[in-house]
Amino acid sequence: MSTLQTRQEPQTRPPSGPPGRRRARRGPVRTSWTIGLLALPAVVFFLVFNYLPMAGLVVAFKQFDVNLGIFDSPWNGLENFAYFLESGDAARILFNTLFLNILFLIATLAAGMILAIMLNEIRSTFFKRVSQSVVFFPYFVSPVVISIILQVLLAGASGGGGAVNDALGGLGFPAVDWYTEPGPWPWILTVVKVWQLGGYLSVIFLAAITGIPEEVYEAGMIDGASRAQMAWRITLPLLKPTAAVLLVLGVGRIFYGDFGTIYAIVGDNGTLFDSTDVIDTYVFRALRQLGDFGTTAAVGLFQSVVGFILVLIAVLIQRKYSKETSIL
Amino acid sequence: MSGKKLEPFTVVSIIGVSFAVLACAIPFWMIISGSFTSETELATTGYSLFPAAFDLTAYKMIFTGPAVLDAYFASVFITVVGTALSLAVTSGLSWVIARRLPGISRPLTVFAYLPMLFSGGLVPLYLLVTQYLKLQNSYFSVILPLLVMPFLVFVQVSAFRQLPESIFESAKIDGAGELRIFFTIAIPLSKPILAVVGLFYAVHYWNDWFMALLFIDDVHKFPLPLVLQNLISNISFTQMLPQLAEAATPVYQLRLALTAVTIGPILLAYPFAQRYFVKGITLGATKG
Amino acid sequence: MSHHIMSRRRLLATGGGLSLAALLAACSDDSQKPQSTGGAASGGALALSLLLPGDLPAGWDPVLAEVNKKLQADLGFTIKPQFIPWTSYGQQALLKFTAGEKFDTALQARWLNMTQLAASGSIVELSSLLSSGKYPNLAATIDPKIIELNRWSGKLYGLPQINSVARFHHFSIRQDLAEKLGMSDITDFAGLEKFWYDVKQKNKDIIPIGVSSRMPKLLVAWNPVGWLNPYMWDNPTMSIASFTGDSLNFVLAADGKQTGSSNPIPWWEAPGMVDALRKIRKYYQDGLINKNALTLDTKALDSQFKAGRVASSWAMTDGLSSTALPELTKNVPGAMIANVMPLKGGESAKPYQTFQSDNFVVLNAKGQSNEKAMQLQDWVSIKENHDLLNYGIAGKDWNPIGEDKYEKLSTYTFPGFALAWRAKLERRVKDMTESETKWFDWAQDINNFTIDPYASFVPDPEPIKRENTQVTAAMTQFANPLFIGAVDVDQGLDKLKKALDRAGLAKVQAEMAKQADAYLKGQ
Repeated sequence: MSTLQTRQEPQTRPPSGPPGRRRARRGPVRTSWTIGLLALPAVVFFLVFNYLPMAGLVVAFKQFDVNLGIFDSPWNGLENFAYFLESGDAARILFNTLFLNILFLIATLAAGMILAIMLNEIRSTFFKRVSQSVVFFPYFVSPVVISIILQVLLAGASGGGGAVNDALGGLGFPAVDWYTEPGPWPWILTVVKVWQLGGYLSVIFLAAITGIPEEVYEAGMIDGASRAQMAWRITLPLLKPTAAVLLVLGVGRIFYGDFGTIYAIVGDNGTLFDSTDVIDTYVFRALRQLGDFGTTAAVGLFQSVVGFILVLIAVLIQRKYSKETSIL
Repeated sequence: MSGKKLEPFTVVSIIGVSFAVLACAIPFWMIISGSFTSETELATTGYSLFPAAFDLTAYKMIFTGPAVLDAYFASVFITVVGTALSLAVTSGLSWVIARRLPGISRPLTVFAYLPMLFSGGLVPLYLLVTQYLKLQNSYFSVILPLLVMPFLVFVQVSAFRQLPESIFESAKIDGAGELRIFFTIAIPLSKPILAVVGLFYAVHYWNDWFMALLFIDDVHKFPLPLVLQNLISNISFTQMLPQLAEAATPVYQLRLALTAVTIGPILLAYPFAQRYFVKGITLGATKG
Repeated sequence: MSHHIMSRRRLLATGGGLSLAALLAACSDDSQKPQSTGGAASGGALALSLLLPGDLPAGWDPVLAEVNKKLQADLGFTIKPQFIPWTSYGQQALLKFTAGEKFDTALQARWLNMTQLAASGSIVELSSLLSSGKYPNLAATIDPKIIELNRWSGKLYGLPQINSVARFHHFSIRQDLAEKLGMSDITDFAGLEKFWYDVKQKNKDIIPIGVSSRMPKLLVAWNPVGWLNPYMWDNPTMSIASFTGDSLNFVLAADGKQTGSSNPIPWWEAPGMVDALRKIRKYYQDGLINKNALTLDTKALDSQFKAGRVASSWAMTDGLSSTALPELTKNVPGAMIANVMPLKGGESAKPYQTFQSDNFVVLNAKGQSNEKAMQLQDWVSIKENHDLLNYGIAGKDWNPIGEDKYEKLSTYTFPGFALAWRAKLERRVKDMTESETKWFDWAQDINNFTIDPYASFVPDPEPIKRENTQVTAAMTQFANPLFIGAVDVDQGLDKLKKALDRAGLAKVQAEMAKQADAYLKGQ
């Protein structure tokens, strides 16, 4: 029964949550065997489809040979990592990857949250429903189509003019050759990401708002709070846990650029690489004619490990400042 | 209460939402309208706000293409069965994590999170599904690898954690077991988040073509996105590729029409999910 | 109580560990013991599995049924082709090779992963099979000289699939515009240049030179000529080689055979190259080239050409430029197309040609039956079978016109270059223009060309893999904008050179010299 003692140790940590939650920690011990059943299918899934295939990561340390396959190819140490990390472009690409993804993460989360709060203010059910459906739609537009729309806006259908330049001209500004001008692209891509994901994320926040008990608002109203104050003081703080979770999840993926969208829009347009080239696009271009699963895996592993470290840091910070919202 | 009086914040919200709606609706309309506009017109202007030269070539191409009905069936099967399975499996796991059980929840969190970061890559997954599980040409070869998205697990965990603890405590005092609490209390209380997570899974399954590309080679079992992906990807590849004496393909129009064809069913299904997460919200607003 | 948790956890942990070990064990010994997965059982009803790129042809099922009926009767087996979307073809094919799948043939090429597959022994060396004399139809339809030129260091790793003997890119121009401008017969680059400027002046809405995002590398330093490089059109006798398709092109010494030294130089050091860059820069600034050239995809450009918005586009000696005509004339009544090959000396220019096929059918070393795969290649070399696969069912998908022409009736389109292209059997489209016919005919005769002294030199990127990937990345970033004229020539070239130096140009150049010299020695 000594195990029982050690198992119960976590309780001795200083309680952080409301009293109810502290009691919950003690309660489930009695029934935890059955609760395990609930998690079992997912555990099996992760073991079979995620953890077993991770054995394949060994290929990152191998000199890949098609005929021998990933497990029998000869080892080659860290050679597969070298081509990327030692390239003169690594610093710029790492910077772009971090910069763009932080930009995307913050902008999309903020947009989703603001949109959800605003939608929550709409009283007409019809307008609310229609607007919710409409803002969700961009999520389905494939990057190829986004790329076409952007080209029409920025360069015109046949590579001259474009709606944005027409507008600029109307305002007396000179036209811009958008597709050879790297400066504005981080912002253009951010606008695209917000457009793509703002509505999608607002749905998650809306569901969270649904969970806020009605009485909280009623109390606020009795206190004479304006709607803006209620949104600021009640809704926003209650959305924080959800936002925190999404943020931490996003941090882990920060080293994966958004390959699909960026590649569809920028493609092989070298003039824009200074500000748009991220790890995934660089690797795709550099390796597409080599077909080497080893180097691809090496880069993936590098991204994962760095992402893992970033997440650990994020979780630690989160636990320090706001234990309640921690996902752990 | 002055229920009719609009507060400044409400006005700002209406304007903000209207702006967002326009930003999404105009491109949406351009896509729909463009999909009915002749290729020549599109190649000249790039877009059309009204199909000046009405034309159905792209839709004809899509719907007379091989096996589109099969593809719809495959997609619906994958989406419906997949979403149901995913929702069940994800809810179970999320609940166990959300309960903050000592010695269980935290390891499970890490266990469910790591796959979001680390992946063994394409080759091992391919070997697993084709050589060990032998799922080629089964719809489950598309469903199973996508069964649990860690991202949605955590979305659901955070929602479960917002449920009032006191209800479960009193249920326990009444002698309810964990399973019963889960099925009779937690699940019914979580309809909004189940709707959202279910919707996201459905969207995910509906859009997926890559698993199908990997594991399904019987063309009559291709799901819709793979059929569409084929059509899209064929229209741009490499200069090394010999041109073929093919019939005129409406490139611009086809891409727009494919978008419309993919979105259609989801837009139809959306209101059903939406019911659950709109209902609660209206309360806060209408009483204002 | 809580030891339930422990036992549960321990159970899960050990269970997981065990199955992981089991899988690892299974994976590692899998490659040794032959294990039949997928594919038909040998013996009884054999169905050859083929990897083909692209979408399922419209009306494929009846064609396949007919093919299989004939195949079963003639050879006693059938085929089961898998169509893989273009954008994923390279990766999927490689994945299937890596997984040890037992498909029989696939499309491969240098621009896919053919060098790698050949090096690892994943594809079959065909010399002995081909020389066995069992495949007379195949031997009769692929010119032995072409076979010889497509051997890599003496080894034949695939059957070249070509529909014309030589591949030579050139221009397809709007002849009606040219005639309106009083230039009915353009034969040289100066004429083309005048045409573009006049088009620009007279037709505000038409782009004189349509360039897509796949084309920049073809414009200046390319084999056999840079598309917009007047010097090379005048002197089409430069040998060019690169380790991979998007990597840096080197120009090899013309007298290599005599001196034994290939002396590869980066393309910009060769004559005419920088002048071409300056010319293109001017075109770009004068608005002759579409500003979105780096992002516009090939098919969208094609669509604009057919809509009458582009005055000249890229063409190949594949006899297919004229297929744009029906659509074009529908949109622009009275439109005409002409193929312009601005070689100095025209048809008697005798330009260099490597005769390297862009596409090969390869045999999987782990396939079910390499013999039968060869029989299939032999079978599709019979005119009747060739026509059935390539054009579909006669009377329904196409009508023959004489012996060597046809008329399309349906939208059936088969990727023949991945299975059944035979230059001698290909039919021409009915409406081929006069100018295209002329250049298509010209490209069918080996004697119209000079064999490039480095014709079958296929460098192996493996020894300088890392440098090559970095060089490739630098080329896309700095050379492509330069090639379409989007950046200042001097600054752009300077940036390119710096990036290439950083990426290891010196090492790549030395390796190229080593391999090319070895090639010369082996000749």
